[in-house]
Amino acid sequence: MRESFRLTLRALVRGHVMTLLVAAVALVHVLFPSIVRADNTASGWREMYVRAVPGFVVAVVLVVTLACACGFFSRERETNRLALTVVRPASAFCVAVGRWLALCGVAAVALVLNAALTFARLPDAPDCRHHVAPILPPPATVARQMMEEYLKDPSTPEAVRKAPRRRVLELLTNREKDRYDAIVPNESLSWTFPADSSRSGLAVRVCFSSASSMSRSARGTLTFGGLTGAVSNNTQTLVEIPLERTAAAAPVTNSLVFANTGAVAMMLRPRRDIELLLPADSFLANLFRATLQSLAVLALLAAFGIFLSAALSRPVAIFTALVMLAVALMAPDTLDQFTEELEVPLGDRIGLAFSRGVACVTSAFMAPTPVSDLATGRCIEWAELARTLLEDLLVWPAVFLSLSALVVRRRPLS
Amino acid sequence: MSEPVIEIRGLRKTFRDFWLRPVAEAVCGIDLTVEKGDVFGLLGPNGSGKSTTIKLVLGLLAPTAGTVRLFGLPPRARAARARLGYLPELSYLHPFLTARETLLYYAGLSGMDGKAAKARAAELLEQVGLSTVANRAVGGFSKGMARRVALAAALVAKPELLILDEPTSGLDPIGTHDVKELIRRLAGMGVTVVMTSHLLGDTEDVCTKIAILSKGKVAAFGRTDELLTRKQDARFTIAGLGEDEARAFAAEASAKFGRDVAFDHPRVPLEKFFAETVGEGR
Ligand SMILES: Nc1ncnc2c1ncn2[C@@H]1O[C@H](COP(=O)(O)OP(=O)(O)OP(=O)(O)O)[C@@H](O)[C@H]1O
Ligand SMILES: [Mg+2]
Repeated sequence: MRESFRLTLRALVRGHVMTLLVAAVALVHVLFPSIVRADNTASGWREMYVRAVPGFVVAVVLVVTLACACGFFSRERETNRLALTVVRPASAFCVAVGRWLALCGVAAVALVLNAALTFARLPDAPDCRHHVAPILPPPATVARQMMEEYLKDPSTPEAVRKAPRRRVLELLTNREKDRYDAIVPNESLSWTFPADSSRSGLAVRVCFSSASSMSRSARGTLTFGGLTGAVSNNTQTLVEIPLERTAAAAPVTNSLVFANTGAVAMMLRPRRDIELLLPADSFLANLFRATLQSLAVLALLAAFGIFLSAALSRPVAIFTALVMLAVALMAPDTLDQFTEELEVPLGDRIGLAFSRGVACVTSAFMAPTPVSDLATGRCIEWAELARTLLEDLLVWPAVFLSLSALVVRRRPLS
Repeated sequence: MSEPVIEIRGLRKTFRDFWLRPVAEAVCGIDLTVEKGDVFGLLGPNGSGKSTTIKLVLGLLAPTAGTVRLFGLPPRARAARARLGYLPELSYLHPFLTARETLLYYAGLSGMDGKAAKARAAELLEQVGLSTVANRAVGGFSKGMARRVALAAALVAKPELLILDEPTSGLDPIGTHDVKELIRRLAGMGVTVVMTSHLLGDTEDVCTKIAILSKGKVAAFGRTDELLTRKQDARFTIAGLGEDEARAFAAEASAKFGRDVAFDHPRVPLEKFFAETVGEGR
């Protein structure tokens, strides 16, 4: 393991991959800030900056890492060097792990530099906050109840009764995820949160919409125990409303109330459009977690690339990796498009099954969104981070590296 | 009878293309046994299947039929691999590593610890005459220098079985001579050596046993002495005998035995002459 680690590190350093990567990181940080455009608020600029500069760097490091990983065993095989490694009594798994560690090390250097330069640019970025969703029953549970009621109802169309239960359930689940709550003028609605109003520094992140597709103005008051916030914004925009303490003696509660004082009915999806923001820790701490999370995702991709390099030739491995990456990025959208249809033609059904498979397999890599979390100031929870590290830094790499060792050992070398 | 180090039984290898159509029958039924302490030469013209046989012995290729045992084990067994050293047909080295790092890398892969590996690397670099360039990247080495590094890499873990695919290709005559000396010395230490070559001179000098491959089959196999020595003829070398004296001696002998007697003057092999001329001044 130590030998292949050193070998790979030397290859990456002496082959100038490391130098180019570090130079690229520095260059992006020097050149890009001047072209970042945003609305005129400091927070807007900060968000754009994080997405465009460190975000771009993470994407570059990701592609470079994947391309390097795809060349590891395939190039060794092309140049016939692999035979010399294979005839030694070292375990192929250890060799693969050594190479993977070295690649992760180089990627880590680039990511740490990226984080340092980001912090140097944003030394007084505000603290990050926990984003807390309202307490609601799981969508699948709600969907099951809805389905039972549907089936009891004699007016339910025959097509729905005949359709496979699983499909109906899936449809209802998706519908529940996107369900709107409506608040008509002069009425109010409340949602319960797993946090109470005794804390200070709270805010609500909310996006209202109206029945019309045109932008209307949303007016009303948000009340959370003794805290209130005034809503006076346009619909269809994500806004952040700070909650100020107005009534000192109000009872502590965990239910947030919105009273609509406007002229039109307001709508929002409770599972997507409203979150309570609680103060968490510093930007630096979040930057640290985001960097670790990016590194874990990179480590997963590196292990996957090494597996491809063991099984395929270099160009084919790189091509496959890029196609998989594209499919992984598109799969969630593809799935979204088909959520409203009960009857799907066979061709689409195959594509759908494929997308679903990809979405399921790639969830480990797609679930963490460190750059966007850092940009919006969402605190990456330690539990979330631990899970990413476990899955992306340990479990999946172990699987992919074992598979590559198996292929390297079994595959004939001529 | 000593223990067999390599046992090959009914070995066949047919290369196939992507559609599994046969492309080349590289090895067609080989039976060979290499015993401990042998210096075994595998000879044959280009494309006769020498390298393929070696790759099958190393377990780099899967045989189409037949079996290979290394030290009584399947060729992919780690215990068997721990005991062998391999020099491929071309010296495939990592271009950005220095000669010393290359040796340390392979020593590490063979499970040697750092200190022992360092000592061994220094010793081998001295032996193959590369100690002055030990810290240069091998990517810039000449073909012969690269060959020496690869040979040292094969020797680094003190193997009991050394498999050399054309060890002398790309080497200058002195290098060739050194390699042959090295092989003889290793054989003296009980190392079993298998080498391929189509340079017959090289093989004849060092190999105690040879097999000649032709079109994937063994055309001849046996001890070099037995195969090459004509026991029915005799040749004398008498030091200090001039042309006239020799002629007289031949006539006398011819009369005595009633046979034709021919004589010639011994020539030094060009290799020796070259070595004497160039000396150590490389
Ligand atoms: N990977 C391969 N795919 C297809 N055919 C192959 C492959 N490797 C070798 N062959 C064929 O097998 C035969 C034997 O090749 P091999 O390399 O063993 O010859 P060799 O005796 O080592 O020759 P040389 O003296 O030139 O090194 C040749 O006809 C060659 O074309
Ligand atoms: Mg050959």
